Amino acid sequence: MFDFIQAVLDGILFGTIYSLIGIGFTLVFGVMHKINMAYAAASIGAAYIGLVSASAMKAASAWVVFGCSLVAGGVLGFLVYLICFHLIPLRNENATLMSTVGMLLLADELISHATTGAPQNYPATLEDVMFRFGEMSMRGDLVVVFGVSVVCTAALLLLLYRTRLGLATRAVAQQPIAAQLCGMRVAQVNTLTFVITGVLGGIAGALICSAVGSLSILLTGPLTVKGLIVTVIGGLGSVPGAIVAGLLVGGLENVFQHFRGVTERDMYVMLLLFAFLIFRPGGIFAKGQGRD
Amino acid sequence: MSALLEVKDVVTAYGKIEALKGVSLEVQQGSITCLLGPNGAGKTTLMMSTAGILRPRSGSIQFAGAEIAGAAPHAIVARGIALVPENRLVFPGMTVTENLRAGAYQRADKAEIEAHIERMFARFAPLKARATQLGGTLSGGEQQMLSVARALMSRPRLLLMDEPSLGLAPLIVDEIFRIIAELNKDGTTIFLVEQNAHMALKVANHFYLIEQGKVTFSGDPGSLAEDEVIRRAYLGSARA
Ligand SMILES: Nc1ncnc2c1ncn2[C@@H]1O[C@H](COP(=O)(O)OP(=O)(O)OP(=O)(O)O)[C@@H](O)[C@H]1O
Ligand SMILES: [Mg+2]
Repeated sequence: MFDFIQAVLDGILFGTIYSLIGIGFTLVFGVMHKINMAYAAASIGAAYIGLVSASAMKAASAWVVFGCSLVAGGVLGFLVYLICFHLIPLRNENATLMSTVGMLLLADELISHATTGAPQNYPATLEDVMFRFGEMSMRGDLVVVFGVSVVCTAALLLLLYRTRLGLATRAVAQQPIAAQLCGMRVAQVNTLTFVITGVLGGIAGALICSAVGSLSILLTGPLTVKGLIVTVIGGLGSVPGAIVAGLLVGGLENVFQHFRGVTERDMYVMLLLFAFLIFRPGGIFAKGQGRD
Repeated sequence: MSALLEVKDVVTAYGKIEALKGVSLEVQQGSITCLLGPNGAGKTTLMMSTAGILRPRSGSIQFAGAEIAGAAPHAIVARGIALVPENRLVFPGMTVTENLRAGAYQRADKAEIEAHIERMFARFAPLKARATQLGGTLSGGEQQMLSVARALMSRPRLLLMDEPSLGLAPLIVDEIFRIIAELNKDGTTIFLVEQNAHMALKVANHFYLIEQGKVTFSGDPGSLAEDEVIRRAYLGSARA
């Protein structure tokens, strides 16, 4: 029984990363009604650039790597926007979608080339620390994952709901024509959305690599899939939905693993996706539609 | 009086279909000018072209002496034009207060914005009780008021209004027209699109009739042609 609770707890802690990645997918969708398939791959790419630039600065502590990944994430977010959503005409739905798929594969190839396909050691935060509460314990690095993710999510929510930029972001997402009539610049909001989600992705990417202990392209596929599942379960465009869905997927994933083993785990996660698509296609918080 | 807005030979097209086929008209400073016309005549297209949402293919739109045809919407708002769009387009997931703040997006005077919001609540009393309610949960009339108030938050010199009475009960329509007259008295020039020609002609100083993308008539309310214009505004001359 304690094992079970322990598994759920670890899953929820780790699930905060899924929440971050889900937020990245869902925010772009909310604002532009486009899916950025390259998001998770760019996040791992940012984590790699963070690692390389931190070691170039001879400062390989996990926190410096996180900082560098954050910056790299913002830059990559901007580049993805520029190439896939600015240079390629937005009006052509298929072209933009395919370009982000192309970007996903390109990012994979670039990482694979740069690392010559070998997993890279990634610095841990609180490697050997264990927090104990009676029979329960929490891995120190997972607590860090949890803490950093919560801080990032809170910062994003503050940005969205307490700042002028956040107001414009929500306005463009809800009613782009009215947003323009209020004097907001859609292209500017779109660009900043990509930079901000890119920053979140850079942090999420570094957190994952740090928790796993290494960086390899084997991470991009599963992370893309989990991110998309979280986005769908949370409801496309819903930030609160992505947060809750991330925790749900993280927790359930470990439950499945606990009962059925690691090889069967993701099968059940996929079935969970279908269950949602059939019974709650609008996501956890399928929100009421306004008039007009 | 001088022209605040001067539209000359404006052509706006959706793909190959020209919705405006060379429209020319003027809105005098301080006036209420009304644009009448049947469904599909191009009224909304002209409003959207003036606000910068649509780009005219040719022609000129001058506002206070400056060319604004083809300028970006945010630049046009900055010059002092605000549009109350057809179907209101309130932000459904934002509170009434946030909708109003969005209208003041380009302003930096924070304290004055909050005071302005309070003045809007005084003018549009039903909105005050709903300050923290989401825009999407308001009634049609309340949404219309919110849309007007939001446009006013940018302190426009010219207020464009696209069918503000659409789908509203007669009592609310009266209220909307009372507000229009009041705003105009306070110094805002108003360019109003209406299908409710009877109401519109009561408040307007001047009107234009647009049919199939062309201005076919203009005049002052009370002139002999009024009945004919009203008939054509409802029915369209082609079908009359
Ligand atoms: N997005 C669009 N794509 C193609 N054609 C359009 C589009 N919007 C409007 N039109 C066409 O342009 C013409 C003018 O439309 P517009 O909306 O300006 O008319 P309107 O005078 O505002 O009509 P209503 O009184 O019904 O609001 C119509 O023939 C319409 O079918
Ligand atoms: Mg119209």
